[in-house]
Amino acid sequence: MSALHRIAAGLAALFRPRQAEQDLDDELREFLEMAIEDKMRAGMSRESATRAARMELGSAAAVKDHVRDVGWENVVETTWQDVRYGVRTLRRSPGFAVAAVLSLALGIGATTAIFSLINTLMLRPLPVSHPEQLVEVLSRYPGEPRLSSFAWRHYEHYRDHSQSFSDLLAVSRARFEVAGDGFESETIDVEFVSGNFFSALGVRSPLGRVIDEQDDRTNPATAASAVVSWPYWVNRLNADPDIVGKVLIINGAPATIVGVAPREFFGLQVGLRPAVWLTAAMEPAVQQPSRLMDGSLGVGMLGRLRPGVTIEQALAEMRVLDRYRIEDFANTRSAAFARDFTIELEPAAAGFAALRDRFATSLLVLMVLVALLLLLACTNVASLLLARAAARQHEMALRVSLGAGRIRLLRQVLAESLLLSTAGGVLGVVLASAGAGTLVRIVLSGREFLRSPQRIEIQTQPDGQMLMFTTAVVVLTALLFGAAPAWHALTSAPVSSLRTSGAAGETRKRRLFGRSLVVAQVALSVLLLSAATMFAQHLSNLRNQELGFQRASLLLVTTDSTTGGSANDQLFASNRNLLGRLEDIPGVRAATLSGITPISGAGASRFIEVEGFDEAPETRRYVPLNWVGPRYFETFGTPLLAGRDFTFADRVGPLVAIVNQAMARHYFADRNPIGGRFRLVGPSNSGITAAPNQLYEIVGVVADAKYLDLREPPPRTIYFNAFQEPRSFRRFALRTAGNPVAVAADVRRIVQEELNGSTVTDMTTMDALVETWIVQERVVALLSSFFGGLSALLAALGLFGLLAYTVTRRTNEIGIRMALGATKSNIARLVLRGALGLVCTGLVLGVPLAFVSRRLASQVVADLSVDGVWPLVVAPVVMLTVALVAAYLPARRAASIEPVEALRQ
Amino acid sequence: MATEQKPGGLVQGTLHMLILKTLALEPMHGYGVGVRLEQISKGAFRINAGSLFPALRRLERDGLIAGEWQVTENNRRAKYYALTTAGRAALKREARDWEHQSAAIARIMAASLGEL
Repeated sequence: MSALHRIAAGLAALFRPRQAEQDLDDELREFLEMAIEDKMRAGMSRESATRAARMELGSAAAVKDHVRDVGWENVVETTWQDVRYGVRTLRRSPGFAVAAVLSLALGIGATTAIFSLINTLMLRPLPVSHPEQLVEVLSRYPGEPRLSSFAWRHYEHYRDHSQSFSDLLAVSRARFEVAGDGFESETIDVEFVSGNFFSALGVRSPLGRVIDEQDDRTNPATAASAVVSWPYWVNRLNADPDIVGKVLIINGAPATIVGVAPREFFGLQVGLRPAVWLTAAMEPAVQQPSRLMDGSLGVGMLGRLRPGVTIEQALAEMRVLDRYRIEDFANTRSAAFARDFTIELEPAAAGFAALRDRFATSLLVLMVLVALLLLLACTNVASLLLARAAARQHEMALRVSLGAGRIRLLRQVLAESLLLSTAGGVLGVVLASAGAGTLVRIVLSGREFLRSPQRIEIQTQPDGQMLMFTTAVVVLTALLFGAAPAWHALTSAPVSSLRTSGAAGETRKRRLFGRSLVVAQVALSVLLLSAATMFAQHLSNLRNQELGFQRASLLLVTTDSTTGGSANDQLFASNRNLLGRLEDIPGVRAATLSGITPISGAGASRFIEVEGFDEAPETRRYVPLNWVGPRYFETFGTPLLAGRDFTFADRVGPLVAIVNQAMARHYFADRNPIGGRFRLVGPSNSGITAAPNQLYEIVGVVADAKYLDLREPPPRTIYFNAFQEPRSFRRFALRTAGNPVAVAADVRRIVQEELNGSTVTDMTTMDALVETWIVQERVVALLSSFFGGLSALLAALGLFGLLAYTVTRRTNEIGIRMALGATKSNIARLVLRGALGLVCTGLVLGVPLAFVSRRLASQVVADLSVDGVWPLVVAPVVMLTVALVAAYLPARRAASIEPVEALRQ
Repeated sequence: MATEQKPGGLVQGTLHMLILKTLALEPMHGYGVGVRLEQISKGAFRINAGSLFPALRRLERDGLIAGEWQVTENNRRAKYYALTTAGRAALKREARDWEHQSAAIARIMAASLGEL
């Protein structure tokens, strides 16, 4: 009741300010009149009664102030006054305002951009019911990124036996050709889901129904169910309201649309937007050979914890259940291989962890960098404000003398700070939304990092969380850089500041504070610059590392699966002809084919038994394999160290192999590997078959080269002659003299002519392939350089501001020095020495900080070198150079002061 | 937000209650309230305008009293304050609390060791 009263009365006063003011004035005047009349009645004269009454009443303005303070509307009013006053004062010094707002906008913008990525990829919960109960099941093999993929048969075991989850769901990604009534056939992203997928997530259909467990039991050949995504329904199915019951033909098999997924539901992986969800039971109908039937279909798993079950309890149970998978591995592969697998659970409120795992480190590093940049921007603005506060001391003192309360003064200063940071924040959000989009585009230019054929799309539009974050940053920065001026407002001593004129009224303490702000800026900037150098060096190390082959001028060509049913001899002839014609293209030095392109992320491996080398079955490790044509090593630029290369003539000879140095060293030690023999044993894990139980003879040894990815050291590797294999190969490589792209058109034409109409599906260069591995490092190096440069600029601005201000303040003193015989160069040196002192103090603080932070960074970022001296040298040198440039102008101005005029001031 | 000044000679926090009591006797303008308080307390409490008007404003905001412009007996215009229903209830409550408290305080102050 009384709260309502207060609000209503406050609003009335706000909207009718004149009325409220008038009433109060009237009331006070009546009060005074009555008091006077009373006193006159007691026998006083009119004058003395008036004087006495006035004295009793005190200052009418003060009384009114007290009365106004009763209502909340007063806060609104005075805040509005503060803001208007702030705008006016900022408009009076546009240079300062622009510098401060830009500085803050860059800091806040960078922070917001990185946060929006972190928010999208890692924080934002899935639009499902109680996402906080969801956990993802992950598997780890030593030395490899976490695996999110499990075999369907293992999933079934966990699902049927676990007690910790109220539901355990599985999802498998694929791309298929889809056709249907009324639209053109196209290739779309689909997901096979277990029957409990939607019910476990609590996702209901706004139109029709979702796939349910009943669908697991129906006959997929005749009655498979499909749920279409909202965007697919709207964009491709024309938002047909009668869509339920219509049929989609997926890879030739019919599936009935039973419903549409809710608009906000995009699946479980941020960045992917499958168009159709199919019941997993349908998989055998669309995919031959079926991987569901033998239980090998790869699925991601998400469980919903039963109420009261902790993630630790669930993990303990899963470890027990996981024995099933380990035994399965031990039977089908090897005990040694199986032994090393462990299972993990991770909270999955934001969905599957793949993208998070991939980007967490980079984003963490970038977040720290932008936080430092923001801190630097705050320090910068604080030092600008401080210089201004000195100039405005007079104004403050005057206001205090005229009766302004300290609190009111403080609020005024804070309002100005907030005004600046809000302007910076608004501009920052604009910068951030542009920056985040660009960032996402660069990051996604990398290789397909989900090991999924689907297209990745990440949207970083501003949302509530981002706005809340930015608002918090804006307020925090305002408090941070506004603290010093606010403190000065609180402690400004009116009498002394009014008496002394401007400059000399500045205290020693304040000067020291201003200088220490510049020192802090230099130190922060050194930190950021050294981080930039460190990441640039890291990138260059990755780029220039020894790959085992020459990355430049190497064209990689993939064709579609060729020559269905063509006989072996024919295949051999056409491939040999093709390679011959490719080598005849002007500018092509060598051409070859292979089963696997190095560092493409694909590989194949087998166990081997080497004659004369005893190996216990548990210590056996998979050996990576490749199938290559003659001149492969010449084409790739891998040195042949001993023995001979493959030839076309091997086709009819005994089975031969070439091994790399690591392999030779391990299995042959000091024996000569040439002539050594081995056989492949155990099951194949890649589906690629090699002649079983046959002996291969080693005919050559080549240098070590990267195999699966760019970061791992070259493994022991065996190369087979592709022309001894009874199958076709789709990957070709050409060593060119100049730019490899120049021969692309010729290659396309010749491939088409030679391989009966099959076409080139993908063409890239090894350079581009290497770059896709280091996209993240490139982004981090690029951004940290950008931030480092900005930080140097800000620190230079801060230094320049301080020096310019100091020169102005010391004009008088400089005049005296010159009058006493100091030369222009003496004066310039005086200023430069001051600048150098500040910068060197900053360096003394910054360099050890950079040293320590490098150690910290190396614990987070894999393979980051901490030994290089460059980061610790480059940053100080850059800083010193920038500082000298910044000090040049004030120094020149100081030197050009005319002593006579200076003394007259 | 408002700096509550301690009005002359008053026990802290009792000004609102005393104003309510004064207005319970009859509706009154601001000046009258001050005079009436001084009279009844035989000059013990002198309330200056800087305390009185903010207190009136607060009571009005809380809906305990309502103000109305009227003509005085001397043919002047003044804002007369009167208790609202809520104000009457508040006065009753505060008076009861006050009685309890002052009685308790009196007992404590009168206590001697023998009675314990």
